[in-house]
Parts: sequence; structure tokens; C-alpha cells
Amino acid sequence: MGRAYSTIAFDPAKCDGCGDCMKACAQAKTGTDDVARSRIQIYGRGDATEKDFELALCRQCADPKCVTVCPAGALNKDGTTGVIGWDASKCVDCLLCTVGCAYAGIALDETAGHVSKCDTCDGNPACVPACPHGALKYITTANIYNEVGDWEDLFAPGLAGCQGCNTELLMRHTLRRVGPDTVLATPPGCVPGMGSVGFNGTTGTKIPVFHPLLTNTAAMLAGIKRQYKRVGREVQALAIAGDGGASDVGFQSLSGAAERGEQMLFMVVDNEGYMNTGMQRSSCTPYGAWTSTTPVGETSRGKTQDAKNLPLIMVNHRCAYVATASTAYMEDLYEKLDKAIAASKTGFAYLHVYSPCTTGWRFPSNLNMEVARKAVETNFVMLWEYTPQEGLHFTKSVDNPLPVTDYLKAMGRFRHLEPEQVEHIQKKVVENQKFVERMTEHAHVG
Amino acid sequence: MTTATLEKAAAADAPRKQKVILAEGNEAAALGVALARPDMVSVYPITPQSSLVEHLAKLIADGRMDADIVDAEGEHSVLSVLQGGALAGARTYTATCGPGLAFMFEPYFRTPGMRLPIVLTIVTRDGITPQSVWGGHQDAMTVREAGWIQVYCENVQEVLDTTVMAFKIAEHHDVMLPVNVCLDGNYLSYGASRVELPDQADVDEFMGEKDVNWHVALDPLRPMAVDPLTGGTTGKGPQTFVRYRKGQCRGMQNALAVIEEVHADWAKRIGRSFAPLVEEYRLEDAEFAIMTLGSMTGAAKDAIDEARDAGKKVGLIKIKTFSPFPVDALMKALAKVRALGVIDRSVGFRWNCGPMYQETLGVLYRLGRHIPSMSFIGGLAGADITIPHVHRVIADTEALLNGATAPTEPVWLNEKD
Amino acid sequence: MDRATEHTKYLIAGSSHAALEAINAIRMHDPEGSLTVVTRDSHLPYSPTVLPYVVSGKSAPARIFLRDEDFFARNKVSYRPESALKALHADENTAELADGSTIVYEKLLLATGASPAIPPIPGIDTVSYHVLRTLDDALKLRGAIAASKQAVVLGAGLVGMHAAENLVKAGASVTIVEMSDQLTSGYFDKVAADMIEQAFRDAGAKIMTGSRVVRLEPTAAGAKLTLENGTTLAADLLLVATGVKPEMAYLNGSGVEHAQGILVDDRMQTTVTNVWAAGDCAQARGFFTGTQVMNAILPDATLQGRVAGMAMAGDPGIQEYAGGVPLNTYHFFGRHAISVGSSKVPEGGEVVTRFDEKTGHYLKAIFGADGCLSGIFGVNEFFDGGVMAQLILRRIDLTPLRDRFVANPLAVGREIMSQTWR
Repeated sequence: MGRAYSTIAFDPAKCDGCGDCMKACAQAKTGTDDVARSRIQIYGRGDATEKDFELALCRQCADPKCVTVCPAGALNKDGTTGVIGWDASKCVDCLLCTVGCAYAGIALDETAGHVSKCDTCDGNPACVPACPHGALKYITTANIYNEVGDWEDLFAPGLAGCQGCNTELLMRHTLRRVGPDTVLATPPGCVPGMGSVGFNGTTGTKIPVFHPLLTNTAAMLAGIKRQYKRVGREVQALAIAGDGGASDVGFQSLSGAAERGEQMLFMVVDNEGYMNTGMQRSSCTPYGAWTSTTPVGETSRGKTQDAKNLPLIMVNHRCAYVATASTAYMEDLYEKLDKAIAASKTGFAYLHVYSPCTTGWRFPSNLNMEVARKAVETNFVMLWEYTPQEGLHFTKSVDNPLPVTDYLKAMGRFRHLEPEQVEHIQKKVVENQKFVERMTEHAHVG
Repeated sequence: MTTATLEKAAAADAPRKQKVILAEGNEAAALGVALARPDMVSVYPITPQSSLVEHLAKLIADGRMDADIVDAEGEHSVLSVLQGGALAGARTYTATCGPGLAFMFEPYFRTPGMRLPIVLTIVTRDGITPQSVWGGHQDAMTVREAGWIQVYCENVQEVLDTTVMAFKIAEHHDVMLPVNVCLDGNYLSYGASRVELPDQADVDEFMGEKDVNWHVALDPLRPMAVDPLTGGTTGKGPQTFVRYRKGQCRGMQNALAVIEEVHADWAKRIGRSFAPLVEEYRLEDAEFAIMTLGSMTGAAKDAIDEARDAGKKVGLIKIKTFSPFPVDALMKALAKVRALGVIDRSVGFRWNCGPMYQETLGVLYRLGRHIPSMSFIGGLAGADITIPHVHRVIADTEALLNGATAPTEPVWLNEKD
Repeated sequence: MDRATEHTKYLIAGSSHAALEAINAIRMHDPEGSLTVVTRDSHLPYSPTVLPYVVSGKSAPARIFLRDEDFFARNKVSYRPESALKALHADENTAELADGSTIVYEKLLLATGASPAIPPIPGIDTVSYHVLRTLDDALKLRGAIAASKQAVVLGAGLVGMHAAENLVKAGASVTIVEMSDQLTSGYFDKVAADMIEQAFRDAGAKIMTGSRVVRLEPTAAGAKLTLENGTTLAADLLLVATGVKPEMAYLNGSGVEHAQGILVDDRMQTTVTNVWAAGDCAQARGFFTGTQVMNAILPDATLQGRVAGMAMAGDPGIQEYAGGVPLNTYHFFGRHAISVGSSKVPEGGEVVTRFDEKTGHYLKAIFGADGCLSGIFGVNEFFDGGVMAQLILRRIDLTPLRDRFVANPLAVGREIMSQTWR
């Protein structure tokens, strides 16, 4: 398997064109304040509102045209870092590389008389911390893929998820992480719907897998784990369940297993409803959301109750580990997955992953990560973790959230909202934030 | 073989000395469970089963039983935990009744489909509403179409012995089905009597090697998908489904012979024998018979003896194995009589009669000969079925023999008590 | 046959950009299939484009190679230098090499490049002259430049101009003789060419455009050139840089159709089964004409090589060749000129030019009737050639951005492309 690489990501919605990144780059790379010499260039779009900015920056392509068109062998992609390096001693200043690049990632530095390009400052890009708005991020998620990419994928190829669904990503990575000595429970919902347990005698995984009832996932897993423990075998018990089965009809067995401290990792993939069966409401469905059982009509404007906060309820079971996570923050998710697996060796570990549903929430299939990110950036959901020893703390800052409308407008299920409904949701977001913040303050030690 | 060798062999086979104790049915059931050495018991207390699980907890707490006890938060989870345990290779046990069984129904129906040899004692309790915590067979009868083997015990000793045998029946490779040992709430659960406790070594020899999940497992050493989706309305989907169902039915039918074998083996090794499917009591020269189920049989046998003393040619047929319904054995018994009264301790709402009576009508039809019969319902909600009640049954049945018309409604034995 | 005939799944003739990209494309899809590269050169792969810099001394000859030995081993490629393709027997899937051996192939890529086109000037075969296409040419020329006092460069294409600049910088008196009436014709327009010419004159070079050499004679010092108008020039170093012609003599009798170059379709396949061609020897679709044209430039060679490699390996991810867009960059005396696209003004199209004589910034942009860019040319006006090529290839309508674009093609081009990948 090939390597993945760290990369600088740009979010135009957060850029105000201040140019601090360019100043930092010019300073770091030329020792001057000449922003024309910066290897990252920000451009305001004159034809739109002043908030729209674009950039020219080397994307460190996987298949770099600049390298292939260089006649002097002066450009090379480093197989370890992924950075396309420029060798001044070989360059003949012919500028053909600038002809190869479609994104102006390598361009003429007229003062120097040579081309110049981003080298990510050896993995510590000066521009990123210089951005006061978080519009630039140095994404190091690739480290995860490099670490686990060669591990065996324990799901069958070609799972039948909806286009753009992030659950397959979650399933494959979780199983890679837990490894083959695992028994997997996938209660009725999207996960077996994708084929985890197979159809008509086939199987979707290379490990033992089963359909519990929607109602008894945690109980069945507890029985399995206990028996292996009794006979002295180290077997990981893992559930990948939907929010409906966990928060509604399956809640009793979940709560019971958590109270008994059954040794398992219970992962809830929260897509805020019964999405597999046609998008019905669950108790995790947020206020105002359209579902097929909270429709929008003459007298109805979506769900009239707020969502149940299942992970907080699990905290009140004093589980060995409880955390919320998002596939838009894979490094965070992975850290939590590691901690949850470790905690599940001695107690009940609960991992709640927010999982936008392209089909049920009605947004384009290429925007799953973006919607997941917006949920976090608006504090619609919050990323935190809890252990009885350390209490609860945020793993992603909840300061300076975007307005919740940035999240709501990203999908169709909220399109009908009246201003007062939006106001209600915004109020609840703030209230929830304060509520969880108070829990972090009261985090007890020992 | 000389006589001396024969005697020696017989001596070697003879059961070891059995301790005599005084025990209630719930305690006897717990002792039977302990003798069968399960790996896992999961419990949730409910009247009148509670003392059974208390005994189990105590046996484990005292180190007299080596099993993992899971105090689950409800019967639904109790059975679910055991399903998980069984799929990981555990011999498993639980007990419940009435509302607990109703709450358990979702995993309950699924257990025989997965062919998991779980043993579950139903300390029978009547169905609510009206609210009642008292005995009656309504709970066990209501789930009789869920695919479990169901056997009913007559007395405390049979409870103990049958509980051990139930594991052997359930785990038999030709059966692989869960078993309900039904013991009457109140009468057997709380009724103390003399019980002989088999020696553990004899029981160990009887049980043999444990092998509960040879056919299906959730085990990383032999990964498989358990309970796959059956897709489509034609082809592989329904074919798979039918294969499962036919397999269950075959296991049920196989159980008839296995139950007999196991009872015979028990008699040989432990020295006590019980009729495995159908017991015939004073039936050889009987002109008519009454049919019983469970603890009522004791009073009924006394009533039969008295009726015999009074010159009535009446016998008794006791059903021990209710599921699978012992059609052939029952036909053999019914062939001997010319009128029949059936006593049920539960209600069959659809036919307006007792459920066992309704089942028996099918056997009578197969017999191909008209035998006048009638249904009696008694002992609901903890009510007693006394010797006088049975005498009424005998009298009404005898009237049928003498040409009386069978009533279209059941006779409610305790209606005017 | 005395010795076993070698079999290979993929045979590539040539070892420069097109060939290297084809190897890459094949190995992406077929990591194991046997692959043999035969080349007339005796060195590791290098680019003809770098040779002027070898001549000038800017590039160390030992450091110009595009791949090392290990590359071939790593990619399981049998690399055979000094094995030019001599004849092709396409009906037998057999290639005959200069060393007398033959190779049976399943799929063959002709990436044999081009050679200098020598004009038929009377007496040319009696004088000694330089050309610049191979590393050996470059090394020879580099040695000669140091001793030259009076040099003549025939041809004012980019190869000739680069060499002339080197000669000027080495202190020689240099004359550039060009048949057409401007320098760098075919790359840059008259305005740009005049700017280039001025730079050369300022540096002391003599420029003789619109001049044809009618006779060449050997002299003790070197050669004497006689021009059409009777002028004579003495040269102690004569460089013939009047263009290149595709290398395809081996095609005789092969059945592979060729015109100016080897004719290929949009998957770089020739008219013959199992034979593809790419790079400077190929005549492929032109983006603007739709017909098969010669577009012997480096970026197109890489693109064609990739398309050919994917086609040969049966890679389903193949994207057909959209047609060649001329792309050239030229660095001269510290200044630079860039040309992207066609200099021809399409019907109903429009030309916008901007020229600041004081700063020497020149820009010409050509738009089609549909508002899309079809060509853009600049001297001392830096814009991203790659971005401009994308605007052309993607046929992006620039009408709403026209004024901003002409004022600052660099910024507006970058804005547009940034939106496609942030």
C-alpha cells in the first residue's frame, strides 16, 4: 500500500485575506517581508463578496506534473514526506515546471530569478500557525493511514453503503484497529444493511460477526466476552450499532451492560435516526429535523423535541471510557479508539461517533466530511472524552463556534426551519455547550 | 458370562450413594443445575421463580457451583447474555416465568432458530391481567409455538432429575434445541419434599463431554457470520429460511427418541426412572381416562386410586413432554380407552378449551376412532386442583362413556370454589 | 535462429520523457509484465531540453539524468542502451535492433524522438558543423564554444537562440541567420520577437533575419557561408539549428502510417495493431485543429507517453488525449518569455494586447468567440503556463472576468484554479 502524506488544507470560508500567512512564509523562506515572494499566495475574488479568497499553493500532488516536465531532474517527490523538493543545483530556470502545474504551486520568484515552491517547512509550515482564523490547517491524518494501511482490512470489499456515507470508513478502520481476535456485533441498521453479516449465507467480514436483535446487542456481547474470559482467551468484544438501537429500544441492555462494567467496546454510529429503514425519527434526532415520521406539512415543521444526549447519559454510568468523535477529525477519533479499546479490556467503553447521513439528511454525497466538520465547528456536537479518573474534557475547543446556521443550511432536512426554530436550535447549542462545560469544571480526580 | 461377573458389572454400574435432603422445587432445580455444571447462568428475579435464582447465587457464592453469574437488568438481557455465552461455547441456564417470559419473548423465539441448547426453567405463573403472582401454565402454554422443547414435572424429585437431563437432551447433536423445564409455581416451587441428590460423579459420567456450539460459534478461531440476512422473496433467501425451519422441526421430532434415551440412561446410571413422554397410570384395563399435566398429577393419581377402589375402570394419562407433542405415545395410550377428560391449567382462548385438550383433539383425529372427550380448566392463578375436583372430572368423563353429550364449553373446576 | 529470440510483453523504443512516462503508466497497472526499453543513446535517460544548459555549463553533464540505474531494476525494466530500433516487422510483432538482435513484443511503443533536420544547402556536407540533440552533441559543442571567436548559428528557434546566448556570453562574436523575418517564429509573435532581438543586439549579437544561406564552403578556420543577398560570413563554429524531424526511418515496410510524424489516434495507437507512438516522433491530435499535427514539446511528450502506457497496459482509467496545446517558456539574458496556446486568432475571436515599453512588459491574450482563452503570450510578464493551459483545455468562459484577467492573468487564473482543489 502506498503512503499518505500530511498536507496544508485551506478553508476559504474562514479566510479574510489578512495576508499573515504570506508574511510568515516570506519571513521564513526569504528573511524578508516581501509577500510577493511568499510560496503561499492568497487572492481575493473581485467578482464576489469580500469574504471570498483563493490560494495558490503547492498541493504536493501524488502524481506531480511539474516533476515529469522538468528536463533537468531538479524536482522530485520525496517518498517519505510526500513533499516535492526543488534542487537549485540542478534547476536550469527554464520555467517548464510552471507550465506543468495547474494550481500555480510552483512559480517564478522574480527577485530570486528562480522558481520557488512550498516545502511545508519540513513538516512544520510557518504559514499555518500564522493564520489568525484557522483557515489553514496542517493535516497530519496521513500518519494514521501510513500506520494502519498495511494492516488487514477485515471487511469484505464492496460494502453496499449509500454513496458518500462515512460509516464504511469507520467500520474498516475500527476493525483494522481492533484486529482479528474480535467478535463483532452489528445490530439491525445501516451496518448490516451494508452487508457486514452478509446475505443468504455469505459474510461481509473476516472475523466472527453477528446480528444481535436491535434490543440486545450489549447483552449478547457480554455473554460472549464473559465466556472467553472464563476459558482464558483474549477476545475483543465490539459492537458497531446505530443510534436508534442504542438510544431507544436497545437502551436498556446498553445501560445494563454499562452498569455491570461488561468488558466491551460499544461504538454508536449516530446518524440521528433510523436511516437504514427509511429515515424515521429516533430519540437522537435533533429538534426541527425532517424525518419520515416527523414530516413537514401544514401543521408540522419537523421534530418537536430535542435530541437525547446519549453519550452524556453514558458518562453517568461512570463507564471506563466515554467519548464523542467525528470522522471529520480522524486523528482525534483514532486516539479515542485506542483509548476505548484499552479501556474495554477492563470495563465498558463507549464511543459515540457522529455520522452525517447523505441520504437521510439530504446533502450531496461529496460533502459528508464537510457536514461532519460543520457540526463540530458550530458546537452542534462537541468532541470530548471522559474517564472516571480524569473526568470530562473537550478534545476540540468549543470557543468561537460558527453560527449554527452554517451547519443547518448545509443539508435539506432543516431547509423548512422557521426563524424561531433556528433560534431554538442556536439557544440549545449554547445551553448544551454550557452544560458540558460545567461538567468539565466539575471534573473530579481520583 | 457367569452370574458372578454379571453381578460385578451391575455393581459397577450401580449409582453411588445419594444424599437425602428436604428441598423445595426451586431449590431442587438449582441443585440440578449445579450438578449439570453450566458455565454461565444469568438471572433476573421474579415471583415465584425468585428463590430459585437466590439458591443459584448462594451455591455460587459458597463455591459449590463454578459458573459465571450475570445479574442482568431484565429477562430480555438474561436470555441474550446466554445466547452470547452459548455462541462462545458456554453451557448456559436461566429461569423465569409469566411477565418475565413475555418480556423475554424476542430473544426467546430466536434461541431455537440459532439452535442454542439453553436450558430455561419456567416456574409457571398465570398470565396477567388480572394481576396475579400465582401459579398456572398460561405462560409456558402461550409460547408453545416458539420452537422450544417443553417438559413438565410432577414432583420435586422429577424437577431435580429432569433439570439435569434437560441439558443432555438440549445438547444432543440430533436435537440442538433449547429446553424449558416447567415446574408449577407455588405447588412445586415452594413445596418441600424429600429429595435424593445424585452423586456428582455419577452425573458427570451421565453428562459426558461438553460440546454445545459445534455447529455455530462466534469464535475468532473459526470466524463465521451468525444469523445472516435472507434476501429476496425467491431463491436463496427463502430457501435458507426454509432450511432453518425444517431443521428446527426435524430437531423437535428427533427429540422424542432422544428424550426417551436420556431418561433410560438416567434410570440406568442414577437409578430413578420417569416416563419420558407420556405416563400411563392404571390404564391397562381402563375404559376411560383423564389426562393431566404437571403437579396436578399427584392429586389425580390419588383420585384414580379411590375411583378404582370404587370399581370405576378409569386410568390416567400424564403428559411429561408437551413439546414436541408426543403424538405416537399418546395415540398408543388413547387406543386403550373409550372416553377422555383432559385437565388444563391454562386457557386456550381461540377454541374455548384448554390448550392441551386442543392439542389432544389432533391426536384423537389421527387415531381414526371417535372417543368422546371434554375439557376441564382448573388451578388458575394458584387455585388448588384437589382430589374432589378430579373426582368431578372422573364422573363427567364416565358420563361421556355412558352416552352423555360432551359440552361445547370447558368445565371451569374452580369457578365456584 | 542461432540464439533464442527475446520475448517481451512491452517494448519501448526510446528513453526520454514519453518513454519514461509510459513505463510509469504501465507499471501502475501491470507491475510484473516484462518490459524492455531499447534506445539509441549510450547514457541513462535525459531530456534534449536540458542540453543547452549543458552547453552553457549551467548543468553538470553527470547530473542531468532523469533516472538512475536503480530505477530500471526497481521497476523490473530491462534497459538496453545503444540498441536503436533498426526495423519494425509489425506483422510478426518483431523489432530488429541495430546490434542485429531481434525482440518479439506483445505491445510496442515508438518513442524514438527526433533528430536535427539538416537543410539541403549546397556544400553542407563539405563543412564541419555542430548540431544539438544528444548529450554527445552538447559535450562537443561545449568544448568548441570556448575556442570560438566567430560563430554562426543557423536557425533562430529555441535551440539556436539558447546556443547563441551561450556563445555571446563566452565572448564570441555571434551571428544568427534565420530564414523567416523574425526570431523564434512559431513560438512568439513579432512584438515579442523584437524584444528578444533587442536583447541579443544589446549583448552584441548580429541578427540576420529573412536571410537564406545558399552555399557553404570549408575554410581553414571553419566554414564560409554565402547568403542569398551575396553577403558572406566566416565561422569558426557553425551550429545548424534549423529544426528537427521525427526519427522514423525504421518504419519502412512496417505498414505503420506516417506523415510528418507517426500518425496516432487519441490513445496514441498507430495504424497498426499492437504499436503505439508518443512524443516528438508522433503526429497526434492538435487541440485547436482537431487534425493530427506535430507538437514536439516536452509537456505533450509526457502526456502522450502516459496515454500510450495506459492503453498498452489496458488500464481502464485511461483518459483519451485531448489534443496538444503548444506550451513554451524561454529564458534569455535574465528575462523570460512564455507562450501558451495558439497564436492564431479564431474566427469571431478577439486579441487583447498590453505593452509597456518602459518596463518591457508585454502581454497578448487571444479569446475565441465563445469567450474562452485560446492563447496567451508574455514577455517579462510572468503568469502560470500550467494554469493558462488548464483554462484553455477546460474551455472556461472568461467573458465575465475578461478585464480583470487581462490586467492580471496571474491572479485571476490562480483564483479560478484554486476553486477546483483547495
